[in-house]
Amino acid sequence: MSDEEHQFESKADAGASKTYPQQAGTIRKNGYIVIKGRPCKVVEVSTSKTGKHGHAKCHFVAIDIFTGKKLEDIVPSSHNCDVPHVNRTDYQLIDISEDGFVSLLTDNGNTKDDLRLPTDENLLSLIKDGFAEGKDLVVSVMSAMGEEQINALKDIGPK
Amino acid sequence: MGEALKYSIMDSVRSVVFKESENLEGSCTKIEGYDFNKGVNYAELIKSMVSTGFQASNLGDAIAIVNQMLDWRLSHELPTEDCSEEERDVAYRESVTCKIFLGFTSNLVSSGVRDTVRYLVQHRMVDVVVTTAGGIEEDLIKCLAPTYKGDFSLPGASLRSKGLNRIGNLLVPNDNYCKFENWIIPVFDQMYEEQINEKVLWTPSKVIARLGKEINDETSYLYWAYKNRIPVFCPGLTDGSLGDMLYFHSFKKGDPDNPDLNPGLVIDIVGDIRAMNGEAVHAGLRKTGMIILGGGLPKHHVCNANMMRNGADFAVFINTAQEFDGSDSGARPDEAVSWGKIRGGAKTVKVHCDATIAFPILVAETFAAKSKEFSQIRCQV
Repeated sequence: MSDEEHQFESKADAGASKTYPQQAGTIRKNGYIVIKGRPCKVVEVSTSKTGKHGHAKCHFVAIDIFTGKKLEDIVPSSHNCDVPHVNRTDYQLIDISEDGFVSLLTDNGNTKDDLRLPTDENLLSLIKDGFAEGKDLVVSVMSAMGEEQINALKDIGPK
Repeated sequence: MGEALKYSIMDSVRSVVFKESENLEGSCTKIEGYDFNKGVNYAELIKSMVSTGFQASNLGDAIAIVNQMLDWRLSHELPTEDCSEEERDVAYRESVTCKIFLGFTSNLVSSGVRDTVRYLVQHRMVDVVVTTAGGIEEDLIKCLAPTYKGDFSLPGASLRSKGLNRIGNLLVPNDNYCKFENWIIPVFDQMYEEQINEKVLWTPSKVIARLGKEINDETSYLYWAYKNRIPVFCPGLTDGSLGDMLYFHSFKKGDPDNPDLNPGLVIDIVGDIRAMNGEAVHAGLRKTGMIILGGGLPKHHVCNANMMRNGADFAVFINTAQEFDGSDSGARPDEAVSWGKIRGGAKTVKVHCDATIAFPILVAETFAAKSKEFSQIRCQV
Protein backbone atom coordinates (compact mmCIF):
# COMPACT_ATOMS: atom_id res chain seq x y z
CA MET A 1 0.00 0.00 0.00
CA SER A 2 2.69 2.46 0.99
CA ASP A 3 4.88 1.60 -2.00
CA GLU A 4 2.39 3.02 -4.40
CA GLU A 5 2.04 6.20 -2.41
CA HIS A 6 5.76 6.75 -2.23
CA GLN A 7 6.18 6.45 -5.98
CA PHE A 8 3.47 8.96 -6.55
CA GLU A 9 4.98 11.29 -4.03
CA SER A 10 8.46 11.22 -5.51
CA LYS A 11 7.08 12.27 -8.88
CA ALA A 12 5.06 15.09 -7.46
CA ASP A 13 7.41 16.59 -4.89
CA ALA A 14 10.85 15.42 -5.98
CA GLY A 15 11.26 13.23 -2.93
CA ALA A 16 9.84 15.52 -0.28
CA SER A 17 7.86 13.49 2.22
CA LYS A 18 4.16 14.17 2.61
CA THR A 19 4.32 13.18 6.25
CA TYR A 20 6.84 12.92 9.05
CA PRO A 21 6.87 10.61 12.08
CA GLN A 22 6.10 11.92 15.55
CA GLN A 23 5.69 10.05 18.81
CA ALA A 24 1.98 9.69 19.61
CA GLY A 25 2.46 10.88 23.20
CA THR A 26 3.78 14.26 21.98
CA ILE A 27 0.91 15.06 19.62
CA ARG A 28 -1.33 17.72 21.17
CA LYS A 29 -4.76 19.15 20.55
CA ASN A 30 -4.83 21.38 17.42
CA GLY A 31 -1.85 19.49 16.01
CA TYR A 32 -2.07 17.35 12.88
CA ILE A 33 -2.18 13.58 12.46
CA VAL A 34 -2.83 11.04 9.70
CA ILE A 35 -5.75 8.72 10.46
CA LYS A 36 -6.69 6.03 7.95
CA GLY A 37 -4.58 7.77 5.31
CA ARG A 38 -6.31 11.13 5.78
CA PRO A 39 -4.67 14.34 7.03
CA CYS A 40 -6.53 15.49 10.13
CA LYS A 41 -6.50 18.19 12.75
CA VAL A 42 -6.61 16.85 16.31
CA VAL A 43 -9.59 18.12 18.32
CA GLU A 44 -9.30 15.87 21.35
CA VAL A 45 -6.52 13.81 22.96
CA SER A 46 -6.94 11.55 25.96
CA THR A 47 -4.26 9.26 27.32
CA SER A 48 -4.42 6.15 29.46
CA LYS A 49 -1.40 4.98 31.42
CA THR A 50 0.12 1.54 31.07
CA GLY A 51 -2.15 -0.99 32.74
CA LYS A 52 -4.17 -4.12 32.29
CA HIS A 53 -4.89 -2.97 28.75
CA GLY A 54 -1.17 -3.08 27.94
CA HIS A 55 0.97 -0.18 26.78
CA ALA A 56 -0.01 3.45 27.53
CA LYS A 57 -2.37 4.65 24.82
CA CYS A 58 -3.35 7.95 23.21
CA HIS A 59 -6.90 8.29 21.99
CA PHE A 60 -7.26 10.88 19.22
CA VAL A 61 -10.41 12.47 17.88
CA ALA A 62 -9.58 14.43 14.74
CA ILE A 63 -11.24 16.16 11.81
CA ASP A 64 -10.22 15.52 8.21
CA ILE A 65 -8.87 18.91 7.13
CA PHE A 66 -10.37 18.58 3.65
CA THR A 67 -13.67 16.76 4.14
CA GLY A 68 -14.47 17.77 7.74
CA LYS A 69 -15.15 14.14 8.59
CA LYS A 70 -14.55 13.04 12.19
CA LEU A 71 -12.06 10.19 12.65
CA GLU A 72 -10.80 8.36 15.73
CA ASP A 73 -7.66 6.41 16.50
CA ILE A 74 -5.95 4.76 19.45
CA VAL A 75 -2.17 4.45 19.34
CA PRO A 76 0.36 3.24 21.94
CA SER A 77 1.91 6.50 23.18
CA SER A 78 5.47 5.37 22.45
CA HIS A 79 4.67 4.53 18.83
CA ASN A 80 5.25 6.94 15.99
CA CYS A 81 2.31 8.46 14.16
CA ASP A 82 2.40 9.95 10.69
CA VAL A 83 1.93 13.69 10.84
CA PRO A 84 1.10 15.48 7.58
CA HIS A 85 3.04 18.50 6.34
CA VAL A 86 0.31 21.12 6.10
CA ASN A 87 1.02 24.28 4.10
CA ARG A 88 -1.00 27.40 3.48
CA THR A 89 -0.41 29.69 0.51
CA ASP A 90 -2.30 32.83 -0.41
CA TYR A 91 -3.16 33.57 -4.02
CA GLN A 92 -5.06 36.34 -5.68
CA LEU A 93 -8.25 35.17 -7.37
CA ILE A 94 -8.28 36.07 -11.06
CA ASP A 95 -11.22 34.20 -12.47
CA ILE A 96 -13.93 31.64 -11.81
CA SER A 97 -14.74 29.42 -14.78
CA GLU A 98 -18.17 27.98 -15.46
CA ASP A 99 -17.08 24.43 -14.68
CA GLY A 100 -16.23 25.42 -11.11
CA PHE A 101 -12.47 25.78 -11.51
CA VAL A 102 -10.67 28.92 -10.40
CA SER A 103 -7.73 30.82 -11.82
CA LEU A 104 -5.22 31.98 -9.22
CA LEU A 105 -2.22 34.27 -9.56
CA THR A 106 0.99 32.81 -8.16
CA ASP A 107 3.88 34.77 -6.66
CA ASN A 108 5.98 34.41 -9.80
CA GLY A 109 3.25 35.79 -12.01
CA ASN A 110 1.98 32.52 -13.46
CA THR A 111 -1.57 31.27 -13.10
CA LYS A 112 -2.67 28.21 -11.20
CA ASP A 113 -5.79 26.71 -12.76
CA ASP A 114 -6.12 23.26 -11.20
CA LEU A 115 -8.26 24.07 -8.14
CA ARG A 116 -11.99 23.86 -7.81
CA LEU A 117 -14.17 26.17 -5.78
CA PRO A 118 -14.53 24.97 -2.18
CA THR A 119 -17.47 22.77 -1.25
CA ASP A 120 -18.16 24.60 2.00
CA GLU A 121 -21.31 26.60 1.19
CA ASN A 122 -20.54 29.67 3.27
CA LEU A 123 -17.10 30.08 1.80
CA LEU A 124 -18.41 29.30 -1.66
CA SER A 125 -21.04 32.04 -1.59
CA LEU A 126 -18.58 34.52 -0.09
CA ILE A 127 -16.18 33.91 -2.98
CA LYS A 128 -18.85 33.90 -5.68
CA ASP A 129 -20.60 37.01 -4.36
CA GLY A 130 -17.36 38.87 -3.77
CA PHE A 131 -16.11 38.03 -7.23
CA ALA A 132 -19.42 39.07 -8.79
CA GLU A 133 -19.19 42.39 -6.98
CA GLY A 134 -15.76 42.85 -8.52
CA LYS A 135 -13.88 42.82 -5.23
CA ASP A 136 -10.17 42.04 -5.04
CA LEU A 137 -10.05 38.62 -3.37
CA VAL A 138 -7.16 36.63 -1.93
CA VAL A 139 -7.83 32.96 -1.20
CA SER A 140 -5.88 30.85 1.18
CA VAL A 141 -5.07 27.36 -0.12
CA MET A 142 -4.27 24.57 2.27
CA SER A 143 -2.23 21.63 1.01
CA ALA A 144 -1.34 18.32 2.60
CA MET A 145 -0.48 14.86 1.32
CA GLY A 146 -0.88 15.82 -2.34
CA GLU A 147 -4.29 17.39 -1.87
CA GLU A 148 -5.13 21.07 -2.08
CA GLN A 149 -8.23 23.02 -1.22
CA ILE A 150 -9.28 26.62 -0.81
CA ASN A 151 -10.07 26.95 2.85
CA ALA A 152 -10.29 30.69 3.57
CA LEU A 153 -10.94 34.02 1.93
CA LYS A 154 -9.29 37.38 2.50
CA ASP A 155 -11.19 40.38 1.20
CA ILE A 156 -8.63 43.08 0.36
CA GLY A 157 -11.17 45.62 -0.71
CA PRO A 158 -12.76 46.70 -4.00
CA LYS A 159 -10.86 46.83 -7.22
CA MET B 1 -54.33 -39.07 94.40
CA GLY B 2 -51.40 -36.72 94.89
CA GLU B 3 -49.14 -39.61 94.08
CA ALA B 4 -50.92 -40.37 90.78
CA LEU B 5 -50.77 -36.77 89.62
CA LYS B 6 -47.05 -36.69 90.34
CA TYR B 7 -46.51 -39.76 88.17
CA SER B 8 -48.42 -38.45 85.21
CA ILE B 9 -46.47 -35.18 85.32
CA MET B 10 -43.20 -37.07 85.48
CA ASP B 11 -44.28 -39.17 82.49
CA SER B 12 -45.23 -36.25 80.35
CA VAL B 13 -42.00 -34.40 81.19
CA ARG B 14 -39.99 -37.51 80.48
CA SER B 15 -41.75 -38.08 77.18
CA VAL B 16 -40.92 -34.52 76.11
CA VAL B 17 -37.36 -34.27 77.38
CA PHE B 18 -36.19 -37.81 76.89
CA LYS B 19 -37.55 -38.41 73.43
CA GLU B 20 -36.25 -41.74 72.29
CA SER B 21 -33.66 -41.41 69.47
CA GLU B 22 -33.63 -43.06 66.13
CA ASN B 23 -30.68 -45.39 65.84
CA LEU B 24 -28.06 -43.94 63.41
CA GLU B 25 -25.59 -46.77 63.80
CA GLY B 26 -24.83 -48.23 60.40
CA SER B 27 -26.82 -45.63 58.42
CA CYS B 28 -24.60 -42.60 59.08
CA THR B 29 -20.86 -42.03 59.08
CA LYS B 30 -19.35 -41.83 62.52
CA ILE B 31 -17.51 -38.56 63.11
CA GLU B 32 -13.86 -39.28 63.58
CA GLY B 33 -10.72 -37.32 62.71
CA TYR B 34 -7.29 -38.45 61.64
CA ASP B 35 -5.08 -39.97 64.35
CA PHE B 36 -1.58 -38.53 63.99
CA ASN B 37 -0.24 -41.38 66.12
CA LYS B 38 -0.36 -43.26 62.81
CA GLY B 39 2.31 -40.87 61.51
CA VAL B 40 1.92 -38.29 58.77
CA ASN B 41 0.11 -40.16 56.02
CA TYR B 42 -1.44 -37.69 53.59
CA ALA B 43 -3.52 -40.24 51.74
CA GLU B 44 -5.10 -41.39 55.00
CA LEU B 45 -5.41 -37.80 56.21
CA ILE B 46 -7.44 -36.88 53.13
CA LYS B 47 -9.51 -40.05 53.42
CA SER B 48 -10.38 -39.03 56.99
CA MET B 49 -11.97 -35.81 55.78
CA VAL B 50 -15.33 -37.31 54.97
CA SER B 51 -15.71 -38.36 58.63
CA THR B 52 -14.33 -35.11 60.06
CA GLY B 53 -17.48 -32.99 59.62
CA PHE B 54 -18.41 -29.61 58.18
CA GLN B 55 -16.67 -28.68 54.90
CA ALA B 56 -14.11 -31.46 55.33
CA SER B 57 -17.02 -33.87 54.99
CA ASN B 58 -18.38 -31.96 52.02
CA LEU B 59 -14.98 -32.20 50.36
CA GLY B 60 -14.98 -35.91 51.14
CA ASP B 61 -18.42 -36.18 49.53
CA ALA B 62 -17.18 -34.22 46.51
CA ILE B 63 -14.30 -36.68 46.12
CA ALA B 64 -16.78 -39.56 46.27
CA ILE B 65 -19.10 -37.96 43.68
CA VAL B 66 -16.27 -37.19 41.25
CA ASN B 67 -15.11 -40.78 41.59
CA GLN B 68 -18.65 -41.91 40.77
CA MET B 69 -18.53 -39.69 37.66
CA LEU B 70 -15.26 -41.26 36.60
CA ASP B 71 -16.33 -44.81 37.35
CA TRP B 72 -19.70 -44.64 35.67
CA ARG B 73 -20.14 -46.68 32.53
CA LEU B 74 -23.24 -47.24 30.46
CA SER B 75 -22.85 -50.93 31.25
CA HIS B 76 -23.88 -50.12 34.84
CA GLU B 77 -27.36 -49.29 33.58
CA LEU B 78 -29.86 -51.75 32.20
CA PRO B 79 -30.42 -51.37 28.46
CA THR B 80 -33.69 -49.61 27.68
CA GLU B 81 -36.28 -51.60 25.79
CA ASP B 82 -36.08 -49.52 22.64
CA CYS B 83 -32.30 -49.40 22.36
CA SER B 84 -30.50 -50.64 19.25
CA GLU B 85 -28.35 -53.74 18.85
CA GLU B 86 -25.19 -51.69 18.95
CA GLU B 87 -26.27 -50.10 22.21
CA ARG B 88 -26.78 -53.55 23.72
CA ASP B 89 -23.22 -54.54 22.91
CA VAL B 90 -21.39 -55.06 26.20
CA ALA B 91 -18.05 -53.71 24.99
CA TYR B 92 -19.77 -50.64 23.66
CA ARG B 93 -21.66 -50.09 26.92
CA GLU B 94 -18.39 -50.42 28.80
CA SER B 95 -16.84 -47.69 26.63
CA VAL B 96 -19.52 -45.06 27.25
CA THR B 97 -18.38 -42.79 30.07
CA CYS B 98 -19.70 -39.75 31.89
CA LYS B 99 -19.17 -36.47 30.03
CA ILE B 100 -17.49 -33.98 32.34
CA PHE B 101 -18.02 -30.22 32.18
CA LEU B 102 -15.41 -28.20 34.07
CA GLY B 103 -16.12 -24.55 34.86
CA PHE B 104 -13.84 -22.16 36.74
CA THR B 105 -13.47 -18.43 37.30
CA SER B 106 -10.50 -16.40 36.11
CA ASN B 107 -8.91 -15.89 39.56
CA LEU B 108 -8.22 -19.62 39.65
CA VAL B 109 -6.19 -19.39 36.46
CA SER B 110 -4.25 -16.52 38.04
CA SER B 111 -3.60 -18.91 40.92
CA GLY B 112 -1.79 -22.21 40.74
CA VAL B 113 -5.07 -24.04 40.10
CA ARG B 114 -4.21 -23.25 36.46
CA ASP B 115 -1.66 -26.06 36.58
CA THR B 116 -4.22 -28.50 37.97
CA VAL B 117 -6.58 -27.54 35.13
CA ARG B 118 -3.73 -27.97 32.65
CA TYR B 119 -3.13 -31.50 33.99
CA LEU B 120 -6.79 -32.41 33.48
CA VAL B 121 -6.92 -30.98 29.97
CA GLN B 122 -3.52 -32.39 29.01
CA HIS B 123 -4.68 -35.93 29.83
CA ARG B 124 -8.17 -35.50 28.32
CA MET B 125 -9.78 -35.99 31.70
CA VAL B 126 -12.53 -33.44 31.08
CA ASP B 127 -14.70 -32.97 27.99
CA VAL B 128 -15.82 -29.34 28.03
CA VAL B 129 -14.28 -26.27 29.70
CA VAL B 130 -16.06 -23.00 30.51
CA THR B 131 -14.36 -19.93 31.94
CA THR B 132 -14.34 -16.12 31.80
CA ALA B 133 -12.03 -13.79 29.84
CA GLY B 134 -9.44 -13.73 32.62
CA GLY B 135 -9.45 -17.52 32.57
CA ILE B 136 -8.22 -17.31 28.99
CA GLU B 137 -5.80 -14.39 29.06
CA GLU B 138 -4.15 -15.19 32.40
CA ASP B 139 -3.18 -18.61 31.05
CA LEU B 140 -1.60 -17.02 27.98
CA ILE B 141 0.08 -14.22 29.93
CA LYS B 142 1.68 -16.74 32.28
CA CYS B 143 3.48 -18.17 29.23
CA LEU B 144 4.96 -14.71 28.60
CA ALA B 145 5.73 -13.56 32.17
CA PRO B 146 5.02 -14.87 35.69
CA THR B 147 2.42 -13.85 38.27
CA TYR B 148 3.91 -13.24 41.72
CA LYS B 149 2.78 -13.73 45.32
CA GLY B 150 1.99 -10.47 47.13
CA ASP B 151 -0.36 -9.79 49.98
CA PHE B 152 -4.08 -9.03 50.37
CA SER B 153 -3.25 -5.89 52.36
CA LEU B 154 -0.92 -4.15 49.88
CA PRO B 155 -2.31 -0.62 49.35
CA GLY B 156 -3.84 -0.01 45.94
CA ALA B 157 -2.53 3.52 45.36
CA SER B 158 1.05 2.48 46.03
CA LEU B 159 0.70 -0.58 43.77
CA ARG B 160 -0.73 1.63 41.03
CA SER B 161 2.30 3.92 41.25
CA LYS B 162 4.55 0.88 40.88
CA GLY B 163 2.59 -0.47 37.92
CA LEU B 164 1.47 -3.60 39.77
CA ASN B 165 -2.04 -5.08 39.65
CA ARG B 166 -3.38 -7.11 42.59
CA ILE B 167 -5.50 -10.24 42.36
CA GLY B 168 -6.15 -11.17 46.01
CA ASN B 169 -2.66 -11.83 47.32
CA LEU B 170 -1.16 -12.19 43.85
CA LEU B 171 0.56 -9.48 41.83
CA VAL B 172 0.67 -9.06 38.06
CA PRO B 173 3.01 -6.34 36.71
CA ASN B 174 1.66 -4.05 33.97
CA ASP B 175 4.59 -5.16 31.90
CA ASN B 176 2.98 -8.62 31.59
CA TYR B 177 0.02 -7.03 29.83
CA CYS B 178 2.32 -5.06 27.52
CA LYS B 179 3.97 -8.34 26.52
CA PHE B 180 0.51 -9.82 26.05
CA GLU B 181 -0.47 -6.92 23.79
CA ASN B 182 2.69 -7.34 21.70
CA TRP B 183 1.90 -11.02 21.34
CA ILE B 184 -1.81 -10.92 20.63
CA ILE B 185 -2.26 -7.98 18.26
CA PRO B 186 -0.46 -9.71 15.34
CA VAL B 187 -2.62 -12.80 16.02
CA PHE B 188 -5.76 -10.67 15.79
CA ASP B 189 -4.42 -9.11 12.57
CA GLN B 190 -3.98 -12.58 11.12
CA MET B 191 -7.44 -13.68 12.27
CA TYR B 192 -8.91 -10.55 10.70
CA GLU B 193 -7.20 -11.39 7.40
CA GLU B 194 -8.72 -14.87 7.53
CA GLN B 195 -12.14 -13.39 8.22
CA ILE B 196 -11.82 -11.17 5.15
CA ASN B 197 -10.05 -13.55 2.77
CA GLU B 198 -11.27 -16.98 3.85
CA LYS B 199 -14.65 -15.89 5.23
CA VAL B 200 -13.89 -17.41 8.65
CA LEU B 201 -16.64 -16.58 11.14
CA TRP B 202 -14.92 -16.53 14.52
CA THR B 203 -16.66 -17.60 17.72
CA PRO B 204 -15.13 -17.23 21.21
CA SER B 205 -14.26 -20.94 21.32
CA LYS B 206 -12.63 -20.80 17.87
CA VAL B 207 -10.63 -17.74 18.93
CA ILE B 208 -9.55 -19.54 22.11
CA ALA B 209 -8.48 -22.66 20.22
CA ARG B 210 -6.47 -20.44 17.87
CA LEU B 211 -4.79 -18.67 20.79
CA GLY B 212 -3.96 -22.07 22.30
CA LYS B 213 -2.38 -23.08 19.00
CA GLU B 214 -0.41 -19.84 18.70
CA ILE B 215 0.92 -19.86 22.28
CA ASN B 216 2.41 -23.31 21.59
CA ASP B 217 3.55 -23.79 25.22
CA GLU B 218 3.13 -26.99 27.20
CA THR B 219 2.54 -25.09 30.44
CA SER B 220 -0.67 -23.64 28.97
CA TYR B 221 -3.99 -25.43 29.43
CA LEU B 222 -5.27 -23.70 26.29
CA TYR B 223 -2.44 -25.25 24.28
CA TRP B 224 -3.51 -28.71 25.46
CA ALA B 225 -7.18 -27.94 24.90
CA TYR B 226 -6.32 -27.03 21.31
CA LYS B 227 -4.18 -30.15 20.90
CA ASN B 228 -6.75 -32.48 22.44
CA ARG B 229 -9.68 -30.73 20.75
CA ILE B 230 -11.37 -29.98 24.05
CA PRO B 231 -13.68 -26.99 23.52
CA VAL B 232 -13.15 -24.02 25.83
CA PHE B 233 -16.21 -21.76 25.97
CA CYS B 234 -16.09 -18.17 27.13
CA PRO B 235 -19.19 -16.13 26.26
CA GLY B 236 -17.74 -13.18 28.18
CA LEU B 237 -14.55 -13.13 26.12
CA THR B 238 -14.45 -9.33 25.93
CA ASP B 239 -14.66 -8.77 29.70
CA GLY B 240 -10.94 -8.54 30.42
CA SER B 241 -7.62 -7.55 28.92
CA LEU B 242 -8.65 -9.52 25.83
CA GLY B 243 -11.59 -7.14 25.48
CA ASP B 244 -9.26 -4.16 25.85
CA MET B 245 -7.11 -5.57 23.04
CA LEU B 246 -10.16 -6.20 20.83
CA TYR B 247 -11.32 -2.65 21.53
CA PHE B 248 -8.01 -1.19 20.37
CA HIS B 249 -7.91 -3.56 17.43
CA SER B 250 -11.34 -2.33 16.31
CA PHE B 251 -9.87 1.14 15.73
CA LYS B 252 -7.17 -0.30 13.51
CA LYS B 253 -9.36 -2.52 11.36
CA GLY B 254 -12.97 -1.43 11.55
CA ASP B 255 -14.62 1.51 9.81
CA PRO B 256 -16.77 3.30 12.42
CA ASP B 257 -18.80 5.03 9.68
CA ASN B 258 -19.51 1.82 7.86
CA PRO B 259 -19.78 -0.86 10.56
CA ASP B 260 -22.06 -2.92 8.33
CA LEU B 261 -19.55 -2.91 5.51
CA ASN B 262 -16.40 -3.25 7.60
CA PRO B 263 -16.97 -4.01 11.27
CA GLY B 264 -13.39 -5.13 11.94
CA LEU B 265 -12.83 -8.49 13.63
CA VAL B 266 -16.20 -10.18 14.30
CA ILE B 267 -16.72 -12.73 17.08
CA ASP B 268 -20.07 -14.51 16.99
CA ILE B 269 -21.44 -15.60 20.37
CA VAL B 270 -24.50 -17.30 18.87
CA GLY B 271 -22.32 -19.88 17.15
CA ASP B 272 -20.88 -20.76 20.53
CA ILE B 273 -24.15 -21.05 22.45
CA ARG B 274 -25.20 -23.53 19.83
CA ALA B 275 -21.95 -25.45 20.22
CA MET B 276 -22.06 -25.30 24.03
CA ASN B 277 -25.66 -26.47 24.30
CA GLY B 278 -24.85 -29.06 21.66
CA GLU B 279 -22.21 -30.50 23.98
CA ALA B 280 -24.99 -31.25 26.48
CA VAL B 281 -27.74 -32.17 24.01
CA HIS B 282 -25.51 -34.53 22.04
CA ALA B 283 -24.09 -36.23 25.11
CA GLY B 284 -26.43 -39.02 24.02
CA LEU B 285 -26.29 -42.05 26.26
CA ARG B 286 -23.51 -40.58 28.34
CA LYS B 287 -24.30 -39.18 31.75
CA THR B 288 -23.05 -35.65 32.40
CA GLY B 289 -21.17 -34.35 35.40
CA MET B 290 -20.38 -30.78 36.34
CA ILE B 291 -17.39 -29.64 38.35
CA ILE B 292 -17.65 -25.92 38.95
CA LEU B 293 -15.08 -23.84 40.79
CA GLY B 294 -16.29 -20.39 41.83
CA GLY B 295 -19.52 -18.71 40.75
CA GLY B 296 -20.67 -16.22 38.18
CA LEU B 297 -20.75 -16.93 34.47
CA PRO B 298 -18.88 -20.25 34.35
CA LYS B 299 -21.19 -21.76 36.99
CA HIS B 300 -24.37 -20.69 35.29
CA HIS B 301 -23.20 -21.41 31.76
CA VAL B 302 -22.39 -25.03 32.55
CA CYS B 303 -25.67 -25.53 34.44
CA ASN B 304 -27.72 -23.80 31.74
CA ALA B 305 -26.32 -26.00 28.99
CA ASN B 306 -27.16 -29.09 31.02
CA MET B 307 -30.76 -27.89 31.26
CA MET B 308 -30.97 -28.69 27.55
CA ARG B 309 -30.66 -32.38 28.37
CA ASN B 310 -33.01 -32.23 31.36
CA GLY B 311 -30.23 -31.75 33.86
CA ALA B 312 -26.82 -33.07 34.80
CA ASP B 313 -26.42 -36.37 36.64
CA PHE B 314 -23.57 -35.30 38.92
CA ALA B 315 -22.71 -31.85 40.26
CA VAL B 316 -19.85 -30.67 42.44
CA PHE B 317 -19.71 -26.96 43.27
CA ILE B 318 -16.72 -25.51 45.10
CA ASN B 319 -17.13 -21.88 46.11
CA THR B 320 -17.52 -19.59 49.11
CA ALA B 321 -20.48 -17.56 47.79
CA GLN B 322 -23.63 -17.32 49.91
CA GLU B 323 -27.17 -17.80 48.67
CA PHE B 324 -29.03 -15.13 50.66
CA ASP B 325 -28.74 -12.42 47.99
CA GLY B 326 -30.34 -14.66 45.39
CA SER B 327 -27.34 -14.56 43.06
CA ASP B 328 -26.70 -17.84 41.27
CA SER B 329 -23.07 -17.77 42.41
CA GLY B 330 -24.05 -18.86 45.91
CA ALA B 331 -26.97 -21.08 44.98
CA ARG B 332 -26.78 -24.67 46.21
CA PRO B 333 -27.28 -27.48 43.70
CA ASP B 334 -30.89 -27.85 44.82
CA GLU B 335 -31.75 -24.46 43.27
CA ALA B 336 -30.48 -25.76 39.92
CA VAL B 337 -32.68 -28.83 40.39
CA SER B 338 -35.70 -26.51 40.46
CA TRP B 339 -34.70 -25.16 37.03
CA GLY B 340 -34.09 -28.58 35.56
CA LYS B 341 -30.36 -27.92 35.27
CA ILE B 342 -29.57 -30.83 37.59
CA ARG B 343 -31.69 -34.00 37.67
CA GLY B 344 -33.79 -34.70 40.73
CA GLY B 345 -31.95 -37.90 41.58
CA ALA B 346 -28.51 -36.50 40.82
CA LYS B 347 -25.55 -36.81 43.15
CA THR B 348 -24.65 -33.29 44.20
CA VAL B 349 -22.57 -31.43 46.76
CA LYS B 350 -21.46 -27.88 47.35
CA VAL B 351 -18.12 -27.51 49.13
CA HIS B 352 -17.97 -24.13 50.86
CA CYS B 353 -14.24 -23.70 50.46
CA ASP B 354 -11.65 -21.72 48.54
CA ALA B 355 -11.05 -23.83 45.44
CA THR B 356 -7.28 -23.25 45.68
CA ILE B 357 -7.37 -25.51 48.75
CA ALA B 358 -10.11 -27.94 47.82
CA PHE B 359 -9.57 -28.55 44.11
CA PRO B 360 -5.98 -29.86 44.09
CA ILE B 361 -6.95 -32.25 46.92
CA LEU B 362 -10.04 -33.32 45.01
CA VAL B 363 -8.00 -33.97 41.86
CA ALA B 364 -5.37 -35.88 43.82
CA GLU B 365 -8.01 -38.27 45.13
CA THR B 366 -9.93 -38.63 41.88
CA PHE B 367 -8.52 -37.84 38.42
CA ALA B 368 -4.84 -38.14 39.34
CA ALA B 369 -5.39 -41.34 41.29
CA LYS B 370 -7.05 -42.85 38.22
CA SER B 371 -4.54 -41.52 35.69
CA LYS B 372 -3.68 -45.03 34.47
CA GLU B 373 -7.32 -45.81 33.67
CA PHE B 374 -7.59 -42.56 31.75
CA SER B 375 -4.73 -43.42 29.46
CA GLN B 376 -6.53 -46.70 28.65
CA ILE B 377 -10.21 -45.95 28.52
CA ARG B 378 -11.06 -42.34 27.93
CA CYS B 379 -8.74 -41.89 24.97
CA GLN B 380 -10.80 -44.37 22.97
CA VAL B 381 -13.99 -42.37 23.33
